[in-house]
Amino acid sequence: VCAQVEASSGRRWQKVLYERQPFPDNYVDHRFLEELRKNIYARKYQYWAVVFESGVVIQQLCSVCVFVVIWWYMDEGLLTPQWLFGAGLASSLIGYILFDLIDLGAGRKESGRTRWADLKSTLVFIAFTYGFSPVLKTLTESVSTDTIYAMSALMLLGHLIFFDYGANAAIVSSTLSLNMAIFASVCLASRLPRSLHTFAMVTFAIQSFALWPMLQKKLKAQTPCCYVGVTLLFALSALVGLLTISGVAAILFALLLLSISCLCPYCLIWLQLFKDNIHGPWDEAEIKDDLSRFLM
Amino acid sequence: MACRRIGSNRRTLSPASSINCVNSLASSIRTHSICMVSDFFYPNMGGVESHIYQLSQCLIERGHKVIIVTHAYGNRKGIRYLTNGLKVYYLPLKVMYNQSTATTLFHSLPLLRYIFVRERVTIVHSHSSFSSMAHDALFHAKTMGLQTVFTDHSLFGFADVSSVLTNKLLTVSLCDTNHIICVSYTSKENTVLRAALNPEIVSVIPNAVDPTDFTPDPSRRDDNTVTVVVVSRLVYRKGIDLLSGIIPELCQKYPALHFLVGGEGPKRIVLEEVRERYQLHDRVRLLGALEHQHVRNVLVQGHIFLNTSLTEAFCMAIVEAASCGLQVVSTRVGGIPEVLPENLIILCEPSVKSLCDGLEKAVAQIRAGTLPTPETIHNKVKTFYTWRNVAERTAKVYDRVADEAVLPMDKRLDRLVSHCGTVTGYIFALFAVLSFLFLVFLRWMSPDSSIDVAVDATGPNGAWTQQYFPGKKGHEREKISNC
Repeated sequence: VCAQVEASSGRRWQKVLYERQPFPDNYVDHRFLEELRKNIYARKYQYWAVVFESGVVIQQLCSVCVFVVIWWYMDEGLLTPQWLFGAGLASSLIGYILFDLIDLGAGRKESGRTRWADLKSTLVFIAFTYGFSPVLKTLTESVSTDTIYAMSALMLLGHLIFFDYGANAAIVSSTLSLNMAIFASVCLASRLPRSLHTFAMVTFAIQSFALWPMLQKKLKAQTPCCYVGVTLLFALSALVGLLTISGVAAILFALLLLSISCLCPYCLIWLQLFKDNIHGPWDEAEIKDDLSRFLM
Repeated sequence: MACRRIGSNRRTLSPASSINCVNSLASSIRTHSICMVSDFFYPNMGGVESHIYQLSQCLIERGHKVIIVTHAYGNRKGIRYLTNGLKVYYLPLKVMYNQSTATTLFHSLPLLRYIFVRERVTIVHSHSSFSSMAHDALFHAKTMGLQTVFTDHSLFGFADVSSVLTNKLLTVSLCDTNHIICVSYTSKENTVLRAALNPEIVSVIPNAVDPTDFTPDPSRRDDNTVTVVVVSRLVYRKGIDLLSGIIPELCQKYPALHFLVGGEGPKRIVLEEVRERYQLHDRVRLLGALEHQHVRNVLVQGHIFLNTSLTEAFCMAIVEAASCGLQVVSTRVGGIPEVLPENLIILCEPSVKSLCDGLEKAVAQIRAGTLPTPETIHNKVKTFYTWRNVAERTAKVYDRVADEAVLPMDKRLDRLVSHCGTVTGYIFALFAVLSFLFLVFLRWMSPDSSIDVAVDATGPNGAWTQQYFPGKKGHEREKISNC
């Protein structure tokens, strides 16, 4: 054994298991951990790019805010359902035209959906909501108002949490998010004085939680400049609306929006400095091939 | 004998066994009383299970006393004896998830303490970081002042929440463990990083295969075709999705190529779909779950062994296949590049394209007849990994550990607080204190002196082999492989 050690004392340690090497089992070579890599998938963020991306969150917060403000106006009798429904219909029409104008009908061609089909589903939806609005009105009569408020707040919060902001995460579920928002709107609408109010409120909920984000998404992809303008305008109108109800709430909401759009991106970039992600040969390999093509 | 410190002063067995032991083995070998602890043991099947069994057998052969502690598997509870009087305790602990028991750090102390005392255990050797019983045993052993060794059999990432939490627990569990054993150098790097360890206390001792179980038999091959064998659990981590891409790609190119897939799992459906879609029923055979003793019969039918794993600490499968004389094609992940020399393995990147290239290279070599014969490969591979060698190296670790002092309580608390972060450190330091108080209570309830000493069964001259089964080795082994 000694001779073997002597003969191979000049031998270098190899990272292999099949050979008996003249080193103890707990030997630590200078090549130990040489394949360690740090932060290889770390992304470099640009401040303004992150601020731009935070627009989606701002939009959604404002949608919820505007919805609640409108509901409050209706509840107080400051806004008639006819007016809300008319305004909603008009803005939906403008949005509908814009939706096709932005990409010059490319998206429509791709989906192959006709205008007739759109009109049909709109009419069906409006007819059914109108027909069922008395039912929706009395649906939650046996539930106490406090419970309704708590439930609506919870559901709107859930809507904000599960909304598809463009992140690729397991928690994202646009279906769940939309359902929660509609649930909240039905809850709140049932506390309004008449069934026409309920009908207008639920239609408005669909417009602001289902149709508006779709337009937003397209706007963001096609015309980023317009998107920034629209976001600012929307945020401002939400703030003004809130200001007419409560000054304190408006200030708090403004602070929230500011911190999300300015402070949070700054934090994200600052925290990147502390990123310490280690990679090495022990990582589970990722399959990069598209394997579904073998089953088509 | 010096290491059986507790047992030596009131040994109830005749000293004859130890004298014979010294005669039969070199007198320089020190013997220890070792307790292997893991949630994973027979009748469960897998790498850890056979590692524990084979290592224990070879340690018994070297004259050590070995017992195994695991949790009850269905009807199998209480104490069982395996070949050479290897005693296995199947403890009645609740199984939580994936054959791993629940952990509270306390509930198993009374049982484990009783075993450690009655078996006069000096070294507690835990296996597998997935086994909570193993971590519990380490914790209790440290409280009782026993030496501890831990073997890590798996690799872990660092990126997701679950690995962050598991790695934290591993840090706590290993920060005051005497010695850690890993199965490959990559695994050592991984464990050192995960548990923030001093690399000096981590040894690399590879797994082994029994070369007599995996002998080549070229007559079983059909030389008109080229058969690719895959033997693995059909799960995502074994890269079965890659296999589902390789099969159609190569079957279209080589009409004489056959696939033989052994193993069962959730990804079987993917392979079945591929077979259906490309009408390959006669060329792709899915054998379903294989028992370990049938693996060799499947392996010898092939020319090429394909391993598509996405992560692997050691990979016994490729050693078994090479031992049967097959050309191995494998992904270059984890510890696999360390396992076989370059002329016995074709390493590929984990992608369909690269693996297909590797397989084509192997097919070309077979057609050209440039591959060494199965016998030559077998003779080479059988020298690489043997359980006797593993046991010898593990015994060295035991010797080293036995000379070390177990950390006293105050130093242990210091170590926990300084090594595991403030919050976790203080929480587990509190647990350590509580478990010590619990131990004091247990010692008062049933003093060590009132616990009977168990019959020392193991070893070539142990009571069991001498009294009950003279010359009937292998009897229990059959029994275990049948059930």
